[in-house]
Amino acid sequence: MHALKSVAGAAGLGMIGFYLGLGFVAVLRAMLGYPDAWGGEINIVGGYVFGLVGWLMGIGMWGIWIREWFGLKTYQRRAPGWQRYFTFNTDHKVIGIQYLVTFIVVFLLAGLLALGMRLELASSGMQFISHSQYNGAMGLHGILMIAVAVAAVIGGAGNYAVPLMIGADDMAFPRLNALTFWLIPPVAVALLATPFLGGIETGWTAYPPLSTTTNSSQILFDLAIITFGLTSILGGLNFIITIIFMRAPGMTWGRLPIFVWSMFVTSWLAIFFTQGFAVALLMILLDRVAGMAFFSAEAGGDPLLYQHVFWFYSHPAVYIMVLPGFGLALEVISHFSRKPLFAYRYAVGAFLGILGLSGVVWAHHMFTSGMPNYLHGPFLVATELISIPTGLIFLSALGTIWMGKLWLQTPMLFAMAVIFNFACGGVTGIFLADVPTDIHLHDTYFVVAHFHYTIVGGEIFALFAGIYYWFPKMTGRMYNETLAKLHFWWMFIGFNLTFFTMHLPGVKGMNRRVADFPESLDNLNMLVSISGWLLGLSFLVFMYNMINAWIRGPVAEANPWRARTLEWQTTSPPPHENFPEQPVIKGHPYDYGVPGSVHGVFPNSGLAGAPSGSAGGGGQ
Amino acid sequence: MQKAMQTGMVVAVILAVLTIVEYVFAVNFDDDTIRFIGLSFAAVGKAALIVYYFMHVYRLWRVEEAH
Amino acid sequence: MAVIAPAEAHRPVHDHLKLNRAGLWLFFFSESVLFGLLLTARFYLEGIQREELDQLLGLGITIVLLLSSVTAFTAETAIEHDNRKLANWGLIATIALGVLFAAGVGYEWSIAHFHRDEAFGTLFFTMTGIHASHVISGIGILVLVWVQLLRGRYTSRDHWPIAGAVMYWHFVDVVWVFFYPALYLVN
Repeated sequence: MHALKSVAGAAGLGMIGFYLGLGFVAVLRAMLGYPDAWGGEINIVGGYVFGLVGWLMGIGMWGIWIREWFGLKTYQRRAPGWQRYFTFNTDHKVIGIQYLVTFIVVFLLAGLLALGMRLELASSGMQFISHSQYNGAMGLHGILMIAVAVAAVIGGAGNYAVPLMIGADDMAFPRLNALTFWLIPPVAVALLATPFLGGIETGWTAYPPLSTTTNSSQILFDLAIITFGLTSILGGLNFIITIIFMRAPGMTWGRLPIFVWSMFVTSWLAIFFTQGFAVALLMILLDRVAGMAFFSAEAGGDPLLYQHVFWFYSHPAVYIMVLPGFGLALEVISHFSRKPLFAYRYAVGAFLGILGLSGVVWAHHMFTSGMPNYLHGPFLVATELISIPTGLIFLSALGTIWMGKLWLQTPMLFAMAVIFNFACGGVTGIFLADVPTDIHLHDTYFVVAHFHYTIVGGEIFALFAGIYYWFPKMTGRMYNETLAKLHFWWMFIGFNLTFFTMHLPGVKGMNRRVADFPESLDNLNMLVSISGWLLGLSFLVFMYNMINAWIRGPVAEANPWRARTLEWQTTSPPPHENFPEQPVIKGHPYDYGVPGSVHGVFPNSGLAGAPSGSAGGGGQ
Repeated sequence: MQKAMQTGMVVAVILAVLTIVEYVFAVNFDDDTIRFIGLSFAAVGKAALIVYYFMHVYRLWRVEEAH
Repeated sequence: MAVIAPAEAHRPVHDHLKLNRAGLWLFFFSESVLFGLLLTARFYLEGIQREELDQLLGLGITIVLLLSSVTAFTAETAIEHDNRKLANWGLIATIALGVLFAAGVGYEWSIAHFHRDEAFGTLFFTMTGIHASHVISGIGILVLVWVQLLRGRYTSRDHWPIAGAVMYWHFVDVVWVFFYPALYLVN
């Protein structure tokens, strides 16, 4: 079994590295005369770093990459069939599917945690779990879902689709790309180990002073998220270089599919801002293991510093999450409305506008933190300004749908749900951007409902649109359309019931991150819990449909959606080198119904990239 | 080779002089604000020299590679 | 079974030098945010306050790092003109000066009269520590590249590893250009 050998060997090396690291630090500590050589949190840091290196070398980095640094001949293990998903494979299509499957598993896991929390919150008082167990579940749910939101669309759909859509044969740095994926398993292992050290009590935001004094699970949390940030930065770097330098001839910036544009902007956000999270967590790490004083006020530090550095990343992070979702939704809406994308240039401008504004809005998370009052006004205004580019994206979507020949297949339903849900999330966001209302609503379930509307409603729905849209391309098989539509309506209704209702206890002052609440809110919370479970159960349909279709679904055509973009002009699934020959771009990707227009052509084999173009492109 | 090395050495001398000037200025100057501004300018200038002449940032947008 | 992958026949030729160089610049861009945030934290927490430091030592290691940038530049320029001998000496001098710089920082740490559990100490040890870790990793990269140079791997047409390592070294120097006045000279 090649797959088993690859992963088990790497895990074994990782374990050896982990214990070596623990021991190495212990020896150092003994030599330097510390009383308790094995007891420090710094041992965990050493173990994690050594273990990470061992794991990466074992999974294949040594053979395919590091040997080169020593002037040795590199080699790559090639595993057949499905087993290649368990090796250090540099094919962007393999990596995309690795990301998607991994993060759907993480998504379901973190969803189960949420269902557990809703069980506890179904009525007031404590029923099933203790306060600290609740906190641990909540922190783990939060950080796992953040990871899903950051990496599922970018790493999964982005890795799979971007090189195909721009007519490249792979990403610019294939080995770096594989590295970004294989950094994820150690992150997952470290995060899933946190409950054994007491659980993440701080929630995913890890505010000091609690995070500098809480249990040792904080160490694993910091190390895991710094590693995850590295993944995000290296992935973003790879996307930027790929999109700048690897576009097919004729693929000008004005002809770039809108999903690629959104990935480009997102990648800039990722490489610029992600360092903020890393720095913030590094400071916590240093405060904890090296006895430094960044956040201890009595020694001249300042806990507010953490919030500034942290939100410097974590507000742009929501654009890292949601912009690819927007791009994906616009992409799908144009193909399924059989119309040119409305106001393409304005949509691109909107993405760039969000890129520009995202760095100057972070302190709207801190209106109640005690930061200087003169900061309230500027951050309020900057935050509300960002609704202008966001509005342009909405106009582009609505203008495309307007008078289109809508083809209401599952991807289109999900893409339209993105527009609906994010509008709700955007409207509730105004109350949180305004200082007076925010001071009332801060840290209540109103905030929870708001960001679930934007991130789940805006991005996760787009993720499912992308999965249903590209599933035939990725697997070469077609899913059951009826089950897919059932999943959509079930999820859509369950989602809106859960999170619309959740605003109400928030307005009445129910605090987030607390396992208990006043009895007067019992009815509302019972309703939220029931609809939450309804939402959770909808994914059973999804899982059944996907697994069933992947194993024995009917074989899909190369281009079941009659779409014009390049990824549909090759076989399903595409060959290793993506295209039979280098495609050349002649026109805009979305010119449905424009007489005589083509997008991509293969000069030698004469395949036109617009199957319905000659017929006017209006039909299906 | 000669010419490239010469340019590099001239830049190095300028950087060294700037560093010394920076140091002498900071040690002998009393006004906090002006010292801070002066040091900031010196740092940005030195960084720009290194980025341009030592790191060859212009090679990013130069089309043809010359040796 | 494990197969040794054959050379990929199908790949179109990309200008890998251009991709690598742009990628490295993007990495610097991202790293500069890390250092910029540390610098911001320094002024956020302490304003322009600072503790007493050994000024001559500070100036000395700054000059050492600057000199190492010059020798690194020499090495790169030399290999661009196929002058392997000069490139060899340039890399050796860079590595030696880098070690000297790291030793200087270590000595500064050992004589510092402030402690890491007070605000300035926290900032000083964190900033110099993270910078020194980049210096040490830079030395490691330079050593790897130097060994390959000794084995005759590089020519004027093909010397990206040297160019990349030297660029990284200059970047570390640029960071110090900002950190040195922020830690030693303000106030």
